[in-house]
Amino acid sequence: MRSKWYSTLLSGLLLSAFSLPTAAYAQEAAPAAKPADGKAEEGKDKKKADEDRWLAVTNGDVYIGPGALLREATVLCKNGKIHKIGHDLDLPADTKVIDAQGMHVYPGLVSPSSSGLVGNTAGDFADTIDPFNRNMVLGLAAGITTTGVGNAAVKLKRFTIKDAQVRDRAFVTMVWSGRNPQGKKGLREKFVSTAEYLRQYRDWEERVKREKDLKEPAKKDVDPGILMVLRNEAYARFSANDRDDLLGIARLAQEFGFRPVIEGCTEGWTVADELGRAGAMAILTIRNQSPKDETLVRAGGSSIQNASILHRAGVPIAVVPGQDSVSLDGIVGRDIQHITVEAGFAVRGELPDDAAIASITTIPARIMGIGHRVGSIEVGKDADLIVTDGELLHYNTHVQWAIVDGKVAYDKEKEMFFAHIRPRKKSETSEVKLDKGETAPKPEDASKQDGDKPADGEKPKEGDTPKDGDKPKEGDKPEEKPKDGDKPEEKPKQG
Amino acid sequence: MNQAPKFHAALLTALALSGACAAPRGSSGVDPERGIALLESGDTGHAIVVSKVIACDEGDSVYSPGLVVTRNAKIEYVGPVRDVPAGYSYHDFRSAIAVPGMVDLHSHVQSGGFGDTNDMVMPVNPEYRASSALRPSNRLVKLACAAGVTTLFGIPGSGTSMSGFGILYKTKTSGTFEDCVLRNPGGLKVAQAYNPERRAGDLGQTRAGLAWILEDVNAMALGATREGRDDPALVNLQRVHSRDLPILIHCAGSDSFPAAARMWQEKYGTRCVLSHGCFDAHATAPYIVQTGAPINAGPRTMDYLSTRDGRITGTAAVYLAAGARNLSLNTDAPVMPQEELFLQGAMSAHLGADSYQMLRAVTIHPARSFGIDDRVGSLESGKDADVVITTGDPLDPRSRVELVLIDGQIQYNRGAEGQLF
Amino acid sequence: MILSLLLSSLAAASSDQGTSTPNLFALRVGRAETVSKGVIEHAVILVEGGKIITIGEDLPIERGIPVYDRPEWVVMPGLVSAYSRYSLDSEGGDDNSPEVLASIELYPASEELRKIVETGVTTLGLYPPGNGISGQAVAIRPLGETKEELILRDSAYLKILSRANGASKRAIKDGFKKADEYAEKEKKAKEKWDKDNAKKGSEKKEEPKAGEEKKEEAAPEKGGYVPPEPEPKAKPFVDLRAERLRAVVSIQSAAEYLHFLDAIGEEKFPWDLRLPITRESDLFYVLRKSEFELDVDGIGDKHVRCIMEPVLSVMPGTLRTRNLAKDVVAAGGKLAFIPRGDSFNDHRQWLANVGEVVSAGLDRNVALRAVTLEPASVLGVEQRLGSLEKGKDANMIFYDGDPLEASSRLKAVMLDGKFVFGEVKL
Repeated sequence: MRSKWYSTLLSGLLLSAFSLPTAAYAQEAAPAAKPADGKAEEGKDKKKADEDRWLAVTNGDVYIGPGALLREATVLCKNGKIHKIGHDLDLPADTKVIDAQGMHVYPGLVSPSSSGLVGNTAGDFADTIDPFNRNMVLGLAAGITTTGVGNAAVKLKRFTIKDAQVRDRAFVTMVWSGRNPQGKKGLREKFVSTAEYLRQYRDWEERVKREKDLKEPAKKDVDPGILMVLRNEAYARFSANDRDDLLGIARLAQEFGFRPVIEGCTEGWTVADELGRAGAMAILTIRNQSPKDETLVRAGGSSIQNASILHRAGVPIAVVPGQDSVSLDGIVGRDIQHITVEAGFAVRGELPDDAAIASITTIPARIMGIGHRVGSIEVGKDADLIVTDGELLHYNTHVQWAIVDGKVAYDKEKEMFFAHIRPRKKSETSEVKLDKGETAPKPEDASKQDGDKPADGEKPKEGDTPKDGDKPKEGDKPEEKPKDGDKPEEKPKQG
Repeated sequence: MNQAPKFHAALLTALALSGACAAPRGSSGVDPERGIALLESGDTGHAIVVSKVIACDEGDSVYSPGLVVTRNAKIEYVGPVRDVPAGYSYHDFRSAIAVPGMVDLHSHVQSGGFGDTNDMVMPVNPEYRASSALRPSNRLVKLACAAGVTTLFGIPGSGTSMSGFGILYKTKTSGTFEDCVLRNPGGLKVAQAYNPERRAGDLGQTRAGLAWILEDVNAMALGATREGRDDPALVNLQRVHSRDLPILIHCAGSDSFPAAARMWQEKYGTRCVLSHGCFDAHATAPYIVQTGAPINAGPRTMDYLSTRDGRITGTAAVYLAAGARNLSLNTDAPVMPQEELFLQGAMSAHLGADSYQMLRAVTIHPARSFGIDDRVGSLESGKDADVVITTGDPLDPRSRVELVLIDGQIQYNRGAEGQLF
Repeated sequence: MILSLLLSSLAAASSDQGTSTPNLFALRVGRAETVSKGVIEHAVILVEGGKIITIGEDLPIERGIPVYDRPEWVVMPGLVSAYSRYSLDSEGGDDNSPEVLASIELYPASEELRKIVETGVTTLGLYPPGNGISGQAVAIRPLGETKEELILRDSAYLKILSRANGASKRAIKDGFKKADEYAEKEKKAKEKWDKDNAKKGSEKKEEPKAGEEKKEEAAPEKGGYVPPEPEPKAKPFVDLRAERLRAVVSIQSAAEYLHFLDAIGEEKFPWDLRLPITRESDLFYVLRKSEFELDVDGIGDKHVRCIMEPVLSVMPGTLRTRNLAKDVVAAGGKLAFIPRGDSFNDHRQWLANVGEVVSAGLDRNVALRAVTLEPASVLGVEQRLGSLEKGKDANMIFYDGDPLEASSRLKAVMLDGKFVFGEVKL
């Protein structure tokens, strides 16, 4: 129990760090710059140092947080954790080096739900996980390194059955639906009795220090799941789309002081401020279409801008595709393999790029209470990285390598699925023996991938996918945009 | 914002050269002598300045920055930025891109998602018209428009071998039947196999039976033509055989895909477009390309399960590699949502196809395959003014469609009415 | 080398026991695949009393010994089908019954059983049915009037089906837990015995002059500590640990290999793997640790013996074939083949199927070993049969050509020095 409390506390701290992205960047950059770590390492027991497992991703543009890109930097991983991030790092001998010259390095993606990626299993992972199954390879090829399965958070670790589960009971699933008023009433009553117990328990905890014989309050009508939620040990997860249900959940959350995770949340954009105030978090499928009920006066139905409106209201957004399993039937772009495409549609609805990347990395990690381990590239976090041949959200981008716990779990060239599509010029993975102080040699000719090629018949160049400068700024309301002919001074001369 | 000075420079150059600028030209070309016409009373016109025009014309013209001018229902001018006479509505989209309205030849959203696609009594229905089911400006059509899809071939389903004639129509968000129709009938829909199989035990349980059903009705139509017989049920099929109307053929797999090419392209010499081409049909790409029949791939654009070589194969990339000309993509909406036609291009590019060719595969290629390239599919003066303004790469899901003009009328304006998709 | 034989042997040769094959005779064949000692051209084999007395190239044969002279024949050891339900029909349930012996199912009068020798199979390993830990297999010779005559070795191996689920892994752990409990019990019993014995010893010291008879009485008592009998369900696991019993562990996929290793943990006992080669197999992932950065030793690294059908498999989801048998051997594993199924016809086709895998790249000698000596090792009877060696059972099969060629015909089968199939005249 104590360790659980501790981990909750720890993740709580990290969560607050996350809400200040620039601060987080400063945090992770600082230890990376310090050379002291490496020096201290040398002093350690030699035999132990020999057993250390080193992996370095070198020369890639490393995405270390919102708006923060380290160009041609190295991420050095030791025994499955990120050890250092920076330039011109000394790589220990026997470091496995992946040369990401001309490529991007992102944190491994996190999907709050999926099915089939770790085999046909829904729990009991240590005894059932299949680390060789095809869907795991395809999940990694999509960049996903951690996923929710049922209520647990599991890593896509290949070639081993050990330590796949990052967290059990990452969620407490709850039902709140206007179609079941009795259920709503029942849930609220459970919250009331559990909250009452918790109040009594905390009271007892204080008093028992003085009054030794005081009896611990009885766990009458206490729901263990709700207790976890009220103690902030796991988030409550609802599935709701209807505006009234969303408002009901928001009120429940505010009344009892917990943060709900709402999956679906189709009409969330109509009550974004209420959800933001209630501390709600949302798991969205951007392309879910549901028409407005035209008999209602109020706003309703789906909106492509759902994610951005909720984001502006302070609701953290995680994005999942419409189909949570791998589909190979020929229809492309809608299953779990296209989680980045779904995040791309959020950008279409004006979610900022960084928030869209967060929606498939840090936010889902945080929603599952594993933000202290995965979701971003920071010193001390799990070495879950993906190396891509282009921008993460660009449709032509392929994952070239996926690294889980500091081991290469996917190499596009070595798996049969995508190796034939725009193959890498040469295999950059190599075991290099380096002397102390020597860095890995850079390849002479790292030719640029044609992943960013624009669809315009011109030669590829930067800037065809809209850069930030070209975009309407976040917060620009459509109605604030200049109307036709508003700026006569910029009009071409007429007549 | 830093593009503003550049824009001015271009404008100044245009002014200095008084229209005789040496910008890249499309096949239609920019006639430097011909100015942009003055609007007469009752005329409407739009002048849209963009950072780039991707014209999708024969010469693969790109104008950056560029100008698209429409007058009434037609495109008046496409090219570098230049003077525009007074009276045109001016639209400043200097950080956006202009592309032609997209064309989908395999679509079933004419009824607005209310089914109404197949009449299953007879195996061949050359007398049927899908136009009866058209609900102009229905919700699905509006979404399509908001995504830049402006022309659809709305067709019956593939439940019967010859399921009737489809309608070519525009995705206007407001308009009457007459306003929307591009051509009616637009062409014939045939289902070669992989769905029209008649399970009740009558003729057409097998591929052989299905082929005979089609041969039989074709013989009737040809006979009527030969003998000068007037048969209202066959009159449109006769037009197909006289190459007046095209056919879209539902066919897939390495069996029915080439079977359709053999029957409709090689034997009857009709203007056929082979639609779907999914599963292992891509294995027959060299033969299909050699027959010259245009391919309209989708909604499945990937094959893994039938080839069994362990590869995830992008079928569009295979057809392109085999030399397919006028390869187009479809959504088979609502199988894939109609608004995601561009995503078919993006995903095909992801799986190895050239992204510019994929843009052409949703614009000029389908128009050309169906003989409507004189009207739609590219931005060229004289064509229908179907113009899409998007914030970036038109295949990128992140790009937003800002403005859609159909027949010179603004049918979707994100800035004014909010983002529909 | 000249054969020197006792006259008594000659005498014995004349007094044949019921069949037409004499007790002592010589075979002269074109070629002998000994499996253990390579190929012998123009081989001469001397058999007496059902055992191979000697084997060599062109050995002179003493006058008077009956000779089967078949220079056009190729001889090899009789086939050993070590993992089978041949002639048995029942299918078991899911419960764990490690104490069950397959030998209880034996039916000596079975026509089917007698017939199997016509396929060249002279040794069968029959396992008890079921999906969990279903019990212990029996090694038999297929011909005999009584069960005792059939059984070569009871408790030949413990059959374990190991799956990627909690119940299956727990069953294995529970088995060894029972063995732990027994070890504890045995330790206590030994302590008690030692204590009692010490007491007795001191009592004895008090008797300074004990008679010889008494000493003799005490002696068996002193060395006669008899450990308590383990519970029936614990005994197989006690035996595994003591290496009195082997295990055959059936896994279907790469994941199940890892889960099996996880289930046994640090436990040490002899085990072979049964790898059912379904069409698709991902077992190639777990052959070598170095190839895929496994965190455990692969099948090849551990030199595990793999029991599999002589078929090719495809990589999952594809038509890309893999010769898993060849891969196993290349990685350092051992190979024991079994027929593709349990039927008579499967057994008859067995060697031809093996020939196909050889033509797909498997080493020929490995293949021959994989149908004789290796399966004999699975059954723990490799000292007695499985190769053509001096002192081993005279189980031999004779072909009119290369045994691995589909066109070759099985001409005769010898079991324990008797022709049991084929018209063979002196």
